[in-house]
Amino acid sequence: MIVFINDQKIEIFSGAMVMDAILQYSKDEYTRLRNGQTLVFDRFGNITEPDGALTEGQILYLKKTESHE
Amino acid sequence: MNKKSISFLAIIILIFSLPVSGQQTSLFAPTEIIILHVNDMHSKIDNLSKLAYLADSLRKIHSNVFLVAAGDNFTGNPVVDMVADKGYPMIDLMNRCGFNVSAIGNHEFDMGQELFNRRMEQATFPFISCNIEVTDGILKQPKPFVTMRAGKDISIVFLGAIELNDRGIPDTHPSNVAGLKFSEPIKKMKEFASLKEKNTLLIGLTHLGVETDAILADSMPQLDLIIGGHSHTLIEKLFIRNKVQIVQAGANLKYVGKTTLIVEKGKVTERWDEIIPMSALTRVNPQIQALIDKYNQNETFRKVVGVADTPLEGYDALGSLMTDAIRDRLKVDFAFQNQGGIRVQSIPRGNITMKDVYQLDPFNNQIVVYQMNPAEITSLICNAFNLEKSIDLQVSGLNYTVTTDVEGKCAGVEITDNLGKPLNPAKDYSVAVNSYMATGYRFNHHDPGTTSSQTTVQVLLNYLSIVKKVNYSGVKRAFLNIKK
Repeated sequence: MIVFINDQKIEIFSGAMVMDAILQYSKDEYTRLRNGQTLVFDRFGNITEPDGALTEGQILYLKKTESHE
Repeated sequence: MNKKSISFLAIIILIFSLPVSGQQTSLFAPTEIIILHVNDMHSKIDNLSKLAYLADSLRKIHSNVFLVAAGDNFTGNPVVDMVADKGYPMIDLMNRCGFNVSAIGNHEFDMGQELFNRRMEQATFPFISCNIEVTDGILKQPKPFVTMRAGKDISIVFLGAIELNDRGIPDTHPSNVAGLKFSEPIKKMKEFASLKEKNTLLIGLTHLGVETDAILADSMPQLDLIIGGHSHTLIEKLFIRNKVQIVQAGANLKYVGKTTLIVEKGKVTERWDEIIPMSALTRVNPQIQALIDKYNQNETFRKVVGVADTPLEGYDALGSLMTDAIRDRLKVDFAFQNQGGIRVQSIPRGNITMKDVYQLDPFNNQIVVYQMNPAEITSLICNAFNLEKSIDLQVSGLNYTVTTDVEGKCAGVEITDNLGKPLNPAKDYSVAVNSYMATGYRFNHHDPGTTSSQTTVQVLLNYLSIVKKVNYSGVKRAFLNIKK
């Protein structure tokens, strides 16, 4: 399955969750996500929970929590 | 708008919602329909007493209140999933909350078809999905949709659908859905579009994920509303595509969505959706809270799930047990476990409890299966070794020896199978690793991998229930040859 994190292509196993893709994208971002310092948004601007299921071709963006106002 | 202001707004709207009890519904007078929606509760029962209080409060002052779930009610909390009657606490509590309908999600199948049949029989509400056909399975054929009424003039159809992975099945272990045929969800849902002609409202109650829900909205304008799940998306702002509203309320019962539709002359003339954080609600239904407390205090974690003939001490013994369980239960050639994922030092001789198993691997990682050739397996072992310049991977199905170079890095790996023979370099082997390794470790693999949809804990509990006793005294499968 291929998804995109901050416009970077991530090839990941089928059935992966959002947090799996973030870990593959960056261990630092994964740590920030687990610490609540980063939020994940879909291409429509909605927040996605880290344990959400991924869809083929899904586009996600990471934002620091301070910017979520 | 930030979360605090949303919470405040939600509470204000809730408190000052106009009472319309006794409202006459007709084709010509405006009718208010309230749909409380949750999705992906994943057995998180603690907030169900708040949800019950909220739903009851609204029912007292509004005539047409519906409580619906968009699938994945189960899997994620051992006090629901690991009790003798798996999943029953969730159904019991959902019944008491007064749920009207649930979509079938992929995790509804985790308990197997027989148990899911029992849960559906116990439920006072239907589970629906239009793209599941029971051909040779034991699942009781679910209905594609359910019709409900708001007064005598308004009929509301909830139409269910479930997402499929690239293997054409929902994300669960394939054995859980044997004998079931799944159709492409959007194509199948469109076959039911004519329901809109004979009913006032047609609502998709889907477990497809927001990306697929958006495509569904684009291709099925007959829908008045899509209540979604699966992607664990928190849709806080009005989200409309092709004039179809899409709502979803996060996951794990941290939020509840409250969608209000005003229907006049058979059409929706006004609509709004609020996301209410459960943390903003303070009042609970005391009877349901007492039941939740009882379920939480059960003896599940003290349950004996196996016996250790000798103490399970250190990474070699514990890792060998974990990987043997994975290899045996998933029928793979080899299984690997990283040492960082083994979270206890030892399990003493004697009874192994469920708590011991959860403490051994608290991360709830899924297990991912790859087809890998020996060169790729070598790459996995070498890369894992180089992270700490020490043995990291415990294994089942093979033995290996890492030889280091003068800098202490992996210079080569000698691998032999359980019979002491080298692996066939031209052959692909099935290799299981946890999802942390699958994504956090860098290694070569031509196969992108597939989730088994099972966690290490689930597999371990299953394995121990079969083998009963384990003995890993003196077991060692990973060796180091340091080059001076």
